[in-house]
Amino acid sequence: MVALTEAERARGALVDELLAVRCQLGDGAAFDELIDRWHQPLWHYVRRFVDSDDTAADALQDIWLRVLRAMPRLREPAKLRAWLFGIARRSLIDRLRQRYAEPLPVSGDEYDIAGPEDTEDHAEELSVMHEELERMPFVEREALVLFYLKELTLAEMAEVLATPLGTVKSRLFRARQLLRRQLEDKGVGR
Amino acid sequence: MRNIHTQSPLPEMPGVSAAAAKRAMAVELSMPSRVRYTLLLLVSVCATALIGALLLTETGLPLRTRGAMVIMVAMGLSWTTFAAWVLLRRRVLLARHSVVAARMAVAFTSVFTVGAWITGVARVVERWYVAVAVGFVMLSVAIALLVRAHRRIQALTRRRAALERELGSLGEA
Repeated sequence: MVALTEAERARGALVDELLAVRCQLGDGAAFDELIDRWHQPLWHYVRRFVDSDDTAADALQDIWLRVLRAMPRLREPAKLRAWLFGIARRSLIDRLRQRYAEPLPVSGDEYDIAGPEDTEDHAEELSVMHEELERMPFVEREALVLFYLKELTLAEMAEVLATPLGTVKSRLFRARQLLRRQLEDKGVGR
Repeated sequence: MRNIHTQSPLPEMPGVSAAAAKRAMAVELSMPSRVRYTLLLLVSVCATALIGALLLTETGLPLRTRGAMVIMVAMGLSWTTFAAWVLLRRRVLLARHSVVAARMAVAFTSVFTVGAWITGVARVVERWYVAVAVGFVMLSVAIALLVRAHRRIQALTRRRAALERELGSLGEA
């Protein structure tokens, strides 16, 4: 996968808004196109937080039902991407709450974060990095997945996570520190 | 630049997952189930309004009859709440569905109002004008919902056309 250019991102936002508007009109084909376009990114997001393909498939079914049922209440179709990941996140949290029967910690102090740093283009190190990512706590892993793998902006993340921008920054800062510590313990990135 | 993304060993997605989601979505979007719940909502609203109007206006009814009518009003309100919840949270009404539902509401409440007026003309019921007034209120609400549904669909259609033009011009550029 390759990082999107600004023009591609702008065009993608228009395509998303058009799809959302068609869905709100009640166009059945638009829902199929929405699934074609977003099923895979949502799958990759969800799969990082559940332990099997079957669980991820169940979660995706639930997410799409939630999307359909919430579609009439989508006020800003232009923000479809953040809205979809927000629904996916709430679905995952509900699953985790059912599983552990306790609320997830959602807090964080405000810190400034530096911009994303370059990582060494090394297959083995990346493999270790992704293993360490899987081991991280939900909240920190989620922040890294949304920012680095799904390429959401900080503002979009704030919408998805339903938290202030400052908290998003602090969560990302904390997640990067944690990942860095874990990688250093493994002897990567020294 | 977020370099992790470029080398991400993303988990494989099973092909059946998207197809299953589409099938589930098609079932959820079916029109007949929406029509059924809209009918349930309209019948329960009209029946509750009619029984409620009779309960309030008919004098000299035996106590047991009044008790039975109170229970029927409670049942009607329960069905109304259930049908409204389904249409708001489960079988949601998208713009085109809303227009169909609002037209059904206008038709039902018109029949109710005309029926109440006929019973008044035929002197079947005392204080028939209460039922007619209730009918007019329901008809007004139904017409307001129809106007709102038409405005919504027009706004969405205009936005769709504008987006299609914008995307078309990007494609040509």
